[in-house]
Amino acid sequence: MIEVREITKRFGRKEVLKGVSFTAEKGEITCLIGVNGVGKTTVMNAIMNLTPIQSGEILIDGQKINKRSYEKIMFIPDAITMLPQMTIQQAMQFMDDFYESWNEKRAKELLDFFKLEEGNKISNLSKGNTAKINLLLGLALDVDYLLMDEPFSGIDIFSREQIADVFTSHLVEDRGVIITTHEINDIEHLIDKVVILNDGTVVKSFYTEEVREKEGKSVIDVLREVHLQ
Amino acid sequence: MNITFNKRDPLYVQVIRYFKEQIATGAFEPGEEIPSRRELASKLKINPNTAQRAYKEMEEEGLIYTEGNNPSKVTKDIEKIASVRQEMIMEAVDAFVHAIRPINVSLDEVVGLIEAKLNEEQEGRK
Repeated sequence: MIEVREITKRFGRKEVLKGVSFTAEKGEITCLIGVNGVGKTTVMNAIMNLTPIQSGEILIDGQKINKRSYEKIMFIPDAITMLPQMTIQQAMQFMDDFYESWNEKRAKELLDFFKLEEGNKISNLSKGNTAKINLLLGLALDVDYLLMDEPFSGIDIFSREQIADVFTSHLVEDRGVIITTHEINDIEHLIDKVVILNDGTVVKSFYTEEVREKEGKSVIDVLREVHLQ
Repeated sequence: MNITFNKRDPLYVQVIRYFKEQIATGAFEPGEEIPSRRELASKLKINPNTAQRAYKEMEEEGLIYTEGNNPSKVTKDIEKIASVRQEMIMEAVDAFVHAIRPINVSLDEVVGLIEAKLNEEQEGRK
């Protein structure tokens, strides 16, 4: 489990996170949602220790984040970090050299799943296919937790559908996933839990099936209520 | 397999309803193998935990059964299947009565209309 407890973050005078708390379980897909600029990416960066926080703490399987945490967790940013002149094969090789947890078999399966060829250069890929490769490079690692920043942003509908299909497949397996998005429509049926961020705090967090069962509301209904408040 | 989900009912409940319809109409035959929870999640594009929940409930209700590590199967219990069919019919009748009551039609008129409609549909199928 990833536990985020009362974390705060300031950029200069601007308080971006004002005591954010939530948990993300293994075997579940947790969705951090909110309009742009509410601090979703900052939360991700804080979990990865890429940005120092002012207060609060983050625990992974009960341990404060430390060097060893990085064997358990992978962050997939919203844009690919590989050099554009690399081929997919070279990018995969780079990951293999760099990460002990690289799982070649899963990487090949993902390549098949997305119907992509290893020989293609990253610079020649469409936006949608670049997003798929970006995701593949993270998903192929044998880590327990995956953080994905806006995996559906700015790509065509069919690529979005293909990426969404990965989440229901064995390729994600029983890992813990946190994704950020500002667009819930495509993935309403795929996620276990929603954490709504607004103005630097968690305004609501809930299980999607529970809110349907107990309140007869869709995820969008709940989001609408929060935004109209 | 295709379910048009509405967004406000729990998905696991909608999955169970779909299975009940298939079982009641015989589209899923007694003893027939059903997809694994992962396959179902992929086919319906739903969270695997939701598929798992639906299967767990159906197993508890006796709609499906699992022996050892084998794939789950549709119940062979004829009485159970008959009761599912009865349940589906009653649900449809309830919904119909609920819809028709405010319009104030007599029983005779309604029955006549139902008969005519059913005949018409049957003709249409031939």
